[in-house]
Amino acid sequence: MYFTAAKGSVPRFILNLQHQGFTLIGPSLSEGVIRLRELRGAEDLASGVVDIQGPGSYVLGGESASMFASVNGPDSPKTYLHPAEVELSKHVDKGSGIELVSAFHSGGKYAFFGIRPCDLRGVRIMDRTMLMPGFEDLVYSTLRDDSIFIVVNCTKAGENCFCASMGTGPTAESGYDVAVTELPEKLLFDVPEKSMDMFQGIALKAATEEELREAEEMVRHAREQMGRRIREKDPARQMYAALDSPVWGEAAERCLACGNCTMVCPTCFCNTIIYRTDLRDGSVSRVRVWDSCLSKDFAYSAGGNPRQQRRARYRQFVMHKFAYWRDEFGTYGCVGCGRCITWCPVGIDITETVNGVLKDRQDAAKKMEAPRVA
Amino acid sequence: MPRQALQTFTQGTVRGIRKETPDTFTLLLDLGDGRTPDDFLPGQFNMLYVFGVGEVPISVASSRGEKLLMHTVRSVGAVTNLLIRLSVGGKVGLRGPFGRGWPVAEAEGKQLLVIAGGLGLPPLRPVIEEAVAKPGRFAEVKVLYGARTQTDLIYTHEYSRWQAANGCNLLLTVDRGTGDWRGNVGVVTTLFPMAGVDPGRAIAFICGPELMLKFSILGLVKIGVPPERIFISLERNMNCASGICGHCQLGPFFICRDGPVFSYSKVRDFFPKEGV
Repeated sequence: MYFTAAKGSVPRFILNLQHQGFTLIGPSLSEGVIRLRELRGAEDLASGVVDIQGPGSYVLGGESASMFASVNGPDSPKTYLHPAEVELSKHVDKGSGIELVSAFHSGGKYAFFGIRPCDLRGVRIMDRTMLMPGFEDLVYSTLRDDSIFIVVNCTKAGENCFCASMGTGPTAESGYDVAVTELPEKLLFDVPEKSMDMFQGIALKAATEEELREAEEMVRHAREQMGRRIREKDPARQMYAALDSPVWGEAAERCLACGNCTMVCPTCFCNTIIYRTDLRDGSVSRVRVWDSCLSKDFAYSAGGNPRQQRRARYRQFVMHKFAYWRDEFGTYGCVGCGRCITWCPVGIDITETVNGVLKDRQDAAKKMEAPRVA
Repeated sequence: MPRQALQTFTQGTVRGIRKETPDTFTLLLDLGDGRTPDDFLPGQFNMLYVFGVGEVPISVASSRGEKLLMHTVRSVGAVTNLLIRLSVGGKVGLRGPFGRGWPVAEAEGKQLLVIAGGLGLPPLRPVIEEAVAKPGRFAEVKVLYGARTQTDLIYTHEYSRWQAANGCNLLLTVDRGTGDWRGNVGVVTTLFPMAGVDPGRAIAFICGPELMLKFSILGLVKIGVPPERIFISLERNMNCASGICGHCQLGPFFICRDGPVFSYSKVRDFFPKEGV
């Protein structure tokens, strides 16, 4: 059901969700960056703040009348659903044996407010990794099951966005609790039946044909404005064939192997366990922290280090997103949010790498097909 | 595996320790949770945990029907250095079993080639033990085992029993002949001509260092064993053992969950391949 409401209804909407026991998480200005942070009220929203992104660059600048004026920041729902650091369990050695002191339990339930369609898709992609039947992750499933998503469709594309070519935006197709499109004077809500109770005390009007058309027009503008794209819809097969392309080496020449791309990626899930010992009571916590395939020791084992070379590690990151992922989880691992381009200290553009590899492959294939001169 | 179990571990008690080589030990564990070696399939692995230090993936070396769970460990890092210092009565944490093991049923009625290099033997021991326990299950069993030197050979006290079993043939080799060694010298592939491989009905289970795997595969393919009947156990950095930490990936496979045992035909695009 489509409704419209005044922009002034947002404080009440937030309050309604808080009354339902949700901790609201949304775009908020923090340390000169728009982070996903707890919104105590509508005043915490980074309303009217514009982010200007480019390869290796992120600055806030200009004012906008728009409530949802920023594209995205370094956080995605991953920050909350698959935290950078989480204590899985704590044990103590009693001499006679090891005893459990405490195990992970959820501290609350999240309402993600104002996330973008690409990030919603990111959650749905991560679901496949973390909730694979038989291998469900306790932390993720607990946090995820309790979460709701109020997604805001994009009416403006960021400099580094390429969601349109990944089929993940600029509008959310499914999987949300409420979808919002910001029109110049009001908000257009797509509200599934189950979410109607979030609108108590808010004057909703049935949306008119004209309002729906206006929203469509604004989203179309965002789609057309998008300067970046991946040139193939289903690139996996060609990527596999291009494992030995020289293009990998050219991109990896610039890569610092810092891992920023994997930290800001909404679907990168790699992690490791550290053991934290408390000298006071001799307890040991099993703590899960994010890890990165760009790190030198990531694949190291007693048998050796299969990805000693930085080139191999950069290729692993990109191949995982654009080829391996599809065969592991039935979907691609990239949502086209552009964060890895923005937060790369040297501005490596993943679309350039993938398109370069694909082009190299296509050129090579053409050469093979060319008729031989006898 | 229920999701809770991924976060917790069982505590095994060490009931026996056997020194195999100067740096390699076999631990015999009593799990104390009612589980026996019957609950662990040949080729699967467990994560062994030294409290407060860390976990290591170790293959199941015991066979179904045995009383104690067996793990053979070489001390090469922080965790394994502590594991080999355990004494009888000591405790070790354990998560598992994980992964897909050897397709033993598929080998029935065939000429089974068990090819092991160094510490590649433990995950194949349960296969050998099952062959010894049920003669006739496989048409023939050839065990080809290579180690660096004579003193690096493990499970030596079991060889005569294996040899005595009907239809089981053990061939040994060492990289360097030392002491009173009078047997074959050379890498494990030098045993192939002596093994009487029948490519039409052979099925190979191989485990060992990557280089040894590579040359064993090449050797078998060369004499006509089809890639679909060559099975290899791969080693990668196994950390969570449930496909969510990402460390053990090889191309589109999670070694911990999709393997560690793969048919060569399934992984040939990614193994052996530099940097994948």
